[in-house]
Parts: sequence; structure tokens; C-alpha cells
Amino acid sequence: MLRPLIAAALLAAPAHAATGERVQVTGEVIDTWCYFSGVMGGPDAVVGSAHHTCALWCSAGGIPVGLLAEDGTVYMVLKIEGDDDTAGGDTLLNIASHTVTADGMLYVRDGLNYIVVEEVTADMDIVNATHEDFGVIPGFAIPDPE
Amino acid sequence: MIRYLLPLALAAAPALAQDFSEGSEAREWGLFGESKARFAATVTDPLCALSGDCADNCGGGDRQLALVREEDDVMVLVLKNAQSAFNGAVTDLLPFCGQAVEVDGLLITDEEIGARNVYLIQRIRAQGDEEWTRANKWTDAWAERNPGAEGSGPWFRRDPRVQAEIAEEGWLGFGADSPVEEAFLEDWF
Repeated sequence: MLRPLIAAALLAAPAHAATGERVQVTGEVIDTWCYFSGVMGGPDAVVGSAHHTCALWCSAGGIPVGLLAEDGTVYMVLKIEGDDDTAGGDTLLNIASHTVTADGMLYVRDGLNYIVVEEVTADMDIVNATHEDFGVIPGFAIPDPE
Repeated sequence: MIRYLLPLALAAAPALAQDFSEGSEAREWGLFGESKARFAATVTDPLCALSGDCADNCGGGDRQLALVREEDDVMVLVLKNAQSAFNGAVTDLLPFCGQAVEVDGLLITDEEIGARNVYLIQRIRAQGDEEWTRANKWTDAWAERNPGAEGSGPWFRRDPRVQAEIAEEGWLGFGADSPVEEAFLEDWF
């Protein structure tokens, strides 16, 4: 009896929580590749002003943009204010590194949070002055004026 | 007894499902949470799959794309292609919208920061095909879209939209003429 039950539980384990939930999230608009992969350094270094130029590159380059909430949760942005051009579009490029408050629908699947932002209710611009601690990340972000 | 074993089995399931390295020829990037992963999947528009907001041809290149893995039905969001110049993977995945494919690349897992079921794709082929396609199409597609991009160097130095943002907001994003920007540049160089 136990074996079939465990097998059934294992099969059922992948979550399919695709029912949306209305949420309000305040957080920073981040480049999820640099944040998740650590390719440019630790998570504290790849946010805010230190990483702003790289965040522009990655957003324009079509890398998924996320919203890093104050509690550390990352929400992958699938649509924002009616704009579904999340693979390099202007809406997300223009708010790279900004801290915003977003009202939208949250979908959770397989451990990732996805958000459809219906409205950005507040845009605080860039508030995370990480350049004071890290300079710019990567170090070649600003070309040498020479 | 069942009450105690079932939660254990459930907790173990995601970990067991994460080893897809068999047969992978993915190049290592030396990232903290990377693991080689080759698996069969269907290329999917996650906005459509999750919210029911669907578009023709997976959004035609506008929308982010995901892979729904055949073995365990897990949705894997593809963050990156095989190029090392700040490029996403939609250009490489779009020709396979809705198709059953095989992919090879790197899964990134770092539970501490919420990284799970995200992927760097290095090559892809339709199931049944012999030939793989390298996931490195982004920069060529950018060059086609920006034939008049001026300047020298890689795309991210010449992209008109990036240049416009930096011209207005500066390298740090506080404004090109802001005292913060000026002080930083003086110190940085």
C-alpha cells in the first residue's frame, strides 16, 4: 500500500500553482541572470547603481527582468502595464534598477514566482546606492575616457 | 507511518528531479550554482501557460520563453543563451515555439536567493532531429535590427537605446549631470 502512495506523491510533487493571486510588491527592478548566476559577483553587488549599466545591457539584451522585493523574494516579470515585450522592451529598460511598487497578479510554479504587473503605482527611481561600496560592476562598464 | 513518509518523499522529489547531466556536453561557466542539464521539453510561452494571456507564435519574440520538461512537467525559465555578451535566449527559442525539443545547457540553482528552475541554454534541436543548433543567435539578430548603430566595440556599447539611457541617466542612473555621477567619475578614473 505504501509504495503506490509514495509513487503517487512523487508524481504529484511538481507544483502547478498557476492560480493567480493579487499582490502589491515593492522592490528593485533587477537583471535576473546576474543576480541568480553570480557571474558578476555576489547578490549585493549586482543591484542598484553599481550595476545599473549592466542592468541596462541585460534588459536590452532580452534577459528576463525581475522584481527583487524587500524580503529577498524575486518575481519574474512577464508583463508590465499591458506591455508584454519583456524580452528587451522599452518599458522595462526605462526602469532598470528603479525601486517601484507594483500591483499585479502573482503566479507560482515550480518554485519560481512570476508576476503580471498591472500597474506601477510608485516609481522611486534608483535608491540603492551600491556604487559607494562596489564601484561599478563589471569594472569595465564605464569605458576609460583615455 | 505513511504520514511521516509522504512528506519526506515530497521533500525529496525536487532534489531527485534536478540531475539531468547524463549525456550533456554543456560547457561549464564556473558559476556557483550551475549543473549541466540535457533534457527533453516543450518550448512554452509562460505568460500564456500561467495566466491564459496567449499570443500568436509565443509572442513573436517579445515575450520571455520557458521549457516545460518532459520528464517531470517542471517549467524551466530560460534566462540566458550561450553567448557571453548580456544576451537572452528568446531569439534562439522562438523558432521552436510549441515544439518538442531537446536542449543542453546549465541549470542554475541557489536556494538562498531563490534561483531554481532557471537555465542557460547552449544548444537546441527539435526532437527527432540529428543536428543541434547553437543558441547564439542574439547578436546577429541585433545587428540586423540595428544596421546603422554607430561607434565601435560590442553591441552593448553601440546600442542606440542603451546609449540614450546612459546619455540621460548616466552610468550610475542618477542623471548624467548629477553631482553623484560627476564625483564618482572623478574618483573612478
